[in-house]
Amino acid sequence: MEKNNQILELIADMGDKLGGDYVFDRQYIISTCEKAAELVYNIIYNLNTIAPKKYLPLYESYERINADIREELAGRLVIPKTDYTMPYTAISRDFSDVVGNKNANLAEVKNLLHLAVPDGFAITTRTFQSYLEHNQLWDQIEAIITGWREENEYSSEEAAARIQGLIIEGKIPPALEKAIGNAMDQLYLSAETVKPSLAIRSSAWGEDGEHTFAGQYTSFLNEPPENILDRYKDVLASTYSSSAMEYRLQTGFSETEVAMAVGCQLMVDAKVSGVLYSLDPQSPEQEVMIITATWGLGAPLVAGKIVADNYTVSREAPYPITALNIVRKSEMLTTRESGGTEIRPVPEDLQTRPCLTEEQVQSLVNMALTIERYFKRPQDIEWVLDQDGAVFILQARPLKIKAQIDQLVCDISSVLESYPIIFAGKGVIAQRGVGTGKVFVVKSDEDLDDFPQGGILVTKYTSPRLARVIKRANAILTDVGSATGHMATIAREFRVPTIVNTGVATRLLQTGQEITLDAEQNVIYEGTVKELCYYEFTEEAIEETYEYRLLRRVLKKIAPLNLVDPHDKNFNPTSCKTFHDITRFVHERAVEELIELKYDHRSETALRKLKFPIPLGLVIIDIGGGLVEQVNSNDIEQSQVISVPMRALLEGMVEPGMWATEPMSVDFGSFMSSLTRTFSSAMASPRYLGLNLAVISKEYLNLSLRLGYHFNIIDSYISEKPNDNYAYFRFLGGVTDITRRSRRANFLAEVLGRYDFRVDVRGDLVVARIKKLPAQGMVGKMRILGRLVAFTRQLDVKMISDEHMNKYMEDFLALAEAPNAVGQI
Amino acid sequence: MNTEKKTQVIILDDEPIVCKRLKPGLEKVGYEVEAFTHSVDAMERIKKKEFDIVITDLKMEGFDGMQFLTEVKSRSQTTEVIVITGFATMETAKESFQKGVFDFIAKPFKMGEIQEIVRKAEMKVRENRSR
Repeated sequence: MEKNNQILELIADMGDKLGGDYVFDRQYIISTCEKAAELVYNIIYNLNTIAPKKYLPLYESYERINADIREELAGRLVIPKTDYTMPYTAISRDFSDVVGNKNANLAEVKNLLHLAVPDGFAITTRTFQSYLEHNQLWDQIEAIITGWREENEYSSEEAAARIQGLIIEGKIPPALEKAIGNAMDQLYLSAETVKPSLAIRSSAWGEDGEHTFAGQYTSFLNEPPENILDRYKDVLASTYSSSAMEYRLQTGFSETEVAMAVGCQLMVDAKVSGVLYSLDPQSPEQEVMIITATWGLGAPLVAGKIVADNYTVSREAPYPITALNIVRKSEMLTTRESGGTEIRPVPEDLQTRPCLTEEQVQSLVNMALTIERYFKRPQDIEWVLDQDGAVFILQARPLKIKAQIDQLVCDISSVLESYPIIFAGKGVIAQRGVGTGKVFVVKSDEDLDDFPQGGILVTKYTSPRLARVIKRANAILTDVGSATGHMATIAREFRVPTIVNTGVATRLLQTGQEITLDAEQNVIYEGTVKELCYYEFTEEAIEETYEYRLLRRVLKKIAPLNLVDPHDKNFNPTSCKTFHDITRFVHERAVEELIELKYDHRSETALRKLKFPIPLGLVIIDIGGGLVEQVNSNDIEQSQVISVPMRALLEGMVEPGMWATEPMSVDFGSFMSSLTRTFSSAMASPRYLGLNLAVISKEYLNLSLRLGYHFNIIDSYISEKPNDNYAYFRFLGGVTDITRRSRRANFLAEVLGRYDFRVDVRGDLVVARIKKLPAQGMVGKMRILGRLVAFTRQLDVKMISDEHMNKYMEDFLALAEAPNAVGQI
Repeated sequence: MNTEKKTQVIILDDEPIVCKRLKPGLEKVGYEVEAFTHSVDAMERIKKKEFDIVITDLKMEGFDGMQFLTEVKSRSQTTEVIVITGFATMETAKESFQKGVFDFIAKPFKMGEIQEIVRKAEMKVRENRSR
């Protein structure tokens, strides 16, 4: 049980590191993974000792998970070998090596930021490799490259032509043809037209990251589906265009690092196309975005072949258009009926008309800001409007403007000194970053509807209800809350700079006030500190560093909990997908096995049922001096319990008013269903009943309590030596929706905090500790825990609003401090 | 502050992520920072320029941080050394303190923690040099 706690602590600890407040390294990730693996192995071993050979499949699950983790640590991506293609919906940034940065960025924009991106799939770099292998091209290509780079046998043009010829003459392996066919079938299902045409674009490894390779590789527009295999070969061949080869030579890329992925997307019927720079690369100090737009498809605009309308937009809310340059657009690129594209004249009446309305400009700007904040770089975005005016993002990549920005921020520390600080060093950083904007204090759910794009969200509590505005926020500040809660998780997903638990945010900040939040140094400045934003742009986004990606990947194998309900048929060793699953499973079964063990042996330390005014269904194992001597029956009375911590806990539980029995006026149905689940079935099944177990001695208590889906552990030792004394409280709940669970967690945290416990809230998990108090003080704390367990039993069902939470808080404190309460604290 | 010469800090850690995080973290609070992931480069650098504060890892592949800090100390007594390491054991801590290390911090640590240590080291550097 002790190990169980250790593992859970370790998992939470690793999650914390992702928040960005900590500096950690690869060694940390490796050693923590090893430690977690060792602990998990130990608890499996221990369980199999109590119940010989009963849980051997756990070892298999353990080996499987641990092997995956070791592969990740060794630097190999764990992806199934069969993945020749991946739909955009399955791609995340963690696959950028496999699908190329261009595809990975687009998929993130689609899946995480929920902006419109045409449906599609990626043909992976693995496919590129197997194509070359299948046609035995590796050695030939290498020989040609050597002939060009080292022996001057060929010019780059000659080398390129030879390699490209080899690639185009190659044969597509049958398995690959099938995989692409399947991906196409899937894509058709989502297409609205019967025979959709495709845009086929390069997405090379290393492209659109630190190096742009802009325009080095080939793309195809409006391709009929039957051409896809030939076009795929064409894009692969463009990997070895002479310009790309020269570029790699100049930028220090090795030719062995080359891997081409390809993106295949449904064509958008383009009315207007264009490019948006979220910061003017020519003069970043102007604080403007530049949008260029033209009729039809955007390819000639990107290539700089035609003239286009030019919009200059301020980067400051409400983002007004500051300059407008509408030109005569006489030609446009359009799709051709038979496939491919052609240049056509623009109808006379449209030639001098602006391509975009003001609303369209605004929606482009909003999208750009969301993307920029997520990728933490000014963006170069290709977009398109379809015939109905809906915006689609075709490409998003970082703008290269570091050199210009460096000149703007010559000395960051002295610049910062000139800005007044509102407060600093308060609270916990949940997501690193810098955010500027106007404060918007949210007091009620209705306020959320008015939350402006680019505002700074200031609120008392963290709450999952805020999720719907987080995407629009430039930064978040809360009075209370934890860096590992659900809201913080969402903030991290969108990379919105966030500081929680400041204690003062709603008091010191007013709606409309302009501030800059530096969630790096944990400082809130008055006004807009532009220099800080620029500085942020020049820093490497740590979320994209290898170490962060690695930690995220290994955590996927460790932290998520899939086995929640012990009565589910999937609650078995082979369904364990993570270390957390194994830990949960082992704990549940260990408690059961311990009970059965004791029933079987009928030993001194026999197992007894507690007769108690409250239907707890508690079974007690006394391992020494926890009960009065000469207990004959299997049932024991409360008065026979002399274990110090247990006695205090029970006293707390039976205090008047704590165990709510009155009928619920609010939300009665939900309460009843939960009540039934908790007690009727509990009464009916002795096995279920037995799961509430206390292991006690004179000074010790370990209590595992399950009421319904709530899972509560209390562990305490109370003796005459204050230094050894401690109490540990852990509560994980269920039944109701996540909002109510969070409220209950907040309630527990506030009460426990008030009684001097050190409290840690992670989502709806509450962990509280207190230690080294003299015995009398510890007894008082155990009574508090007893009261809380009784009081909060069904609290989440009743907590339908924050007001309820405050009311129950008062109720609890009133009851706890009432004169008839047993024992004062 | 602007007229004064900034405190010079050099960082040596073979894990690039540590340098990437520490350099901007310290620059923002007013230090001039150089960061190195290769000990040879850092060694060359300290021969050319005197730093006020040295931050170094102890265990690095193919190189011993202890060697680096010994070299630093032998060049300038008033330079303060802060040791960061992933293997925080009493042994290495003791040994590094004997070599005149200012403080010792175990990875992973919070940015605020190292900023605080650097601030204290800076005060000591000034104190020693004003004598």
